[in-house]
Amino acid sequence: MPSPAAVPKTVFLGMSGGVDSSLSAVLLKEQGYNVVGVYMKNWSKDLPGMKCPWAEDLADAKRVAVKLGIDFRVFDFETEYKQKVVDYMLSEFKAGRTPNPDIMCNQEIKFKLFYETAREQGADLIATGHYARISPHPCLRKAADENKDQTYFLYRISEDALAHTLFPIGDMLKKDVKKLAEEKGLDNAYKKESMGVCFVGEVGMEDFLKEYFEPNPGPIIEIETGHELGTHEGAIFYTIGQRHGLDLGSANKGADAGLPYYVVKKDITKNIVYVSRNLNAEDLWTTELDLEDIIKRTGDALRGPAGSEPKASESDGRYNATAPWDAEGRRPTGPVRIDVRLRHRAPLIPATLEGNKLIFKKEIKRPAAGQSAVFYQGDACIGGGIIKF
Amino acid sequence: MSMIYLDHASATPLSKKAKAAMEPFFADDFFNPSAPYLPAKRVREAYENAKSEIAHTIGAKANDLVMTSGATEATNLAFSVLNASTRGPDALYRPSTPARLSARGAAGPLNAPPLVLVLETEHASVLRTAENYGAGKIKVKPGSGLIDLDNLKSKITKDTVLISVAAANNELGTIQPLAEIAEIIKSERQARLKNKNPRPLYLHSDASAALGLLNINVARMKTDLLTLSSAKIYGPKGVGALYVAHGVKLKPLISGGGQERNLRSGTENVPGAIGFAAAMKETKDHLNSAAKTFENLKTIFKNSLTDELNGEIEPVFLGPKKRQLANFCPVSFPGLDAERLVYKLEEKEVYLSTGAACAASKGEKSHVLKAAGLTDKEIAGSLRISFGRLNDEAKVKTAANLIADAVKEELERLKNA
Repeated sequence: MPSPAAVPKTVFLGMSGGVDSSLSAVLLKEQGYNVVGVYMKNWSKDLPGMKCPWAEDLADAKRVAVKLGIDFRVFDFETEYKQKVVDYMLSEFKAGRTPNPDIMCNQEIKFKLFYETAREQGADLIATGHYARISPHPCLRKAADENKDQTYFLYRISEDALAHTLFPIGDMLKKDVKKLAEEKGLDNAYKKESMGVCFVGEVGMEDFLKEYFEPNPGPIIEIETGHELGTHEGAIFYTIGQRHGLDLGSANKGADAGLPYYVVKKDITKNIVYVSRNLNAEDLWTTELDLEDIIKRTGDALRGPAGSEPKASESDGRYNATAPWDAEGRRPTGPVRIDVRLRHRAPLIPATLEGNKLIFKKEIKRPAAGQSAVFYQGDACIGGGIIKF
Repeated sequence: MSMIYLDHASATPLSKKAKAAMEPFFADDFFNPSAPYLPAKRVREAYENAKSEIAHTIGAKANDLVMTSGATEATNLAFSVLNASTRGPDALYRPSTPARLSARGAAGPLNAPPLVLVLETEHASVLRTAENYGAGKIKVKPGSGLIDLDNLKSKITKDTVLISVAAANNELGTIQPLAEIAEIIKSERQARLKNKNPRPLYLHSDASAALGLLNINVARMKTDLLTLSSAKIYGPKGVGALYVAHGVKLKPLISGGGQERNLRSGTENVPGAIGFAAAMKETKDHLNSAAKTFENLKTIFKNSLTDELNGEIEPVFLGPKKRQLANFCPVSFPGLDAERLVYKLEEKEVYLSTGAACAASKGEKSHVLKAAGLTDKEIAGSLRISFGRLNDEAKVKTAANLIADAVKEELERLKNA
């Protein structure tokens, strides 16, 4: 953690009202920064039965800011969030893909719009309560708490923003964050963690999408037999690997009765959902993934400018990563050995990146198109790409 | 307990008497009042007695009351007068195309006259309900928030069916001249008789905020529909009632077993009604002394606060000087952020609100203060302070000191920023 200079640097901290960003505020203040708390008001839609509780979150964030005696502002990003995140998400779903709005939110809102707005308003640095670490140069690194690591959601953020970002709790374990927050008198220390995308709230993605897309019934077909087993409400509502909500109860008879059906394939143009009871169904597994829109985080930055070689002792000894490509993402030309994460918190899988293709030694369960494959070497998050059909 | 609670307009603690009165009806006398055996009949009696007691305190009879789950439901039910059918060709009080459709942007005449007129400073339960019927808004006078009677007169048309004005406002504490409003309504009714216009005109009033401080009497106030709430007078929450004058027809919001003269089905909330009645009686017994006590506390508070601030900032006391509920003392510190003051004071166990609780929780500016002509700075810096039984002279003085401290700290912070 870089320490503030004699004249305290001004940090704009994104505060959500949760324990992570609240404790971040405390820590930054203790480190001598001039902290400005910012609540980012993103887009939210009232859905029947659920409301994104942003007003309460804002109040919680402000309460913490006031107790710490720090300035507090609200950045209203509703319009931009709707355009950059929600509309993107809806168009992706429409195209039959399963996008990750959190990744887009970090790329477009938190580490772009928030960063730029904060800088305009006098910030030297920004900070968030993400579980991730930054080594000088800068390099995005996994959090100390492996289980909470959020680099999966951060792999697309710009180098410029990262160079001006602090993750005050990235070195801590979640349980220590909770404990310390309690010691510091943050009474939201036990507040329920928000899960998933804020604007979808607790209503769930399917219900959210149904607000935007009319039901479009089509056949559910068993991939092995070609039998029509039932009717779905629109192929865009289904995700590869999904086994709930198929409503195939009556068709589920015979020798395999009781085994669930999985969505193994979607044909968006013909509006067909293919299912299988066979966990080994060919379409569920693959050894290759085609990627697009690949980001290669500057590898040379890991080594940094001459004479600033990071030492292994700088962290927990695992800091030995060197990205295999240079700042332009050009080097080398041949295949590259990396570790890949296909979902937040999913285990790392060794793979080879060859051009735009990821090649795995063992078969992996095929992720949905539109999801991200994120690259790691050691502790470093060195980029990623979006999975194609 | 060192807490200083200055938000009696938002909630009140259940009084000991009300609590004791309710106690037997949770587990011992739990019977359904509609059941045929004797113990149940006794519960029925207790329930009807409670209703009578509530009714008597407002100069009405038990049969004039419909018990509800609170003021919001009572107000919603009151507005159903617009849906209730009458005999003859004028079966529904609607222009040829429902105004509610045009209000939602669907097909409908653009200039459909509003059936309802509500004061622009009404509580959300009135405003939102009225919106369903395409309501017109009656203006208030700047500063005081008192109804502009000329504006009311100019807005009444031959189509107006319902006028809704709260007995007292829940943010500024403004006491509205209901008797004068009733006079205006009376002359409009007479004009309609003369013109052979069969359309009725009703007066609804939300008395939730006023009930604990004013002598609410339906005969004197001449309201046809009156919303009552137990929660603001040290009774249980989730209990309210609607007074319905003879001949006023409503359409039930909740159908079922036909309780409350078919206007509000569902097994009666017996302990709730009994707690409400006990709270109501206690309130009525102390009405005069309460007003005196709170006027005194208000004076002490205002003086202490002004003294403590020592000219560093001039507190702006909001609302009317004379026609304000005795326990209301809204105040603004223009240029400051009242929300920050609330969180600062919460640490000292001083609890108060900014604007109306409902508006604050949605992050919107108070529509009441806006309507009363306050500047954005005054609104942003305004605290809603309402005294009550949890306060005494010492607490009010301490509160004034602590508020002044918080205000000074904020002034200091702004100076350094």
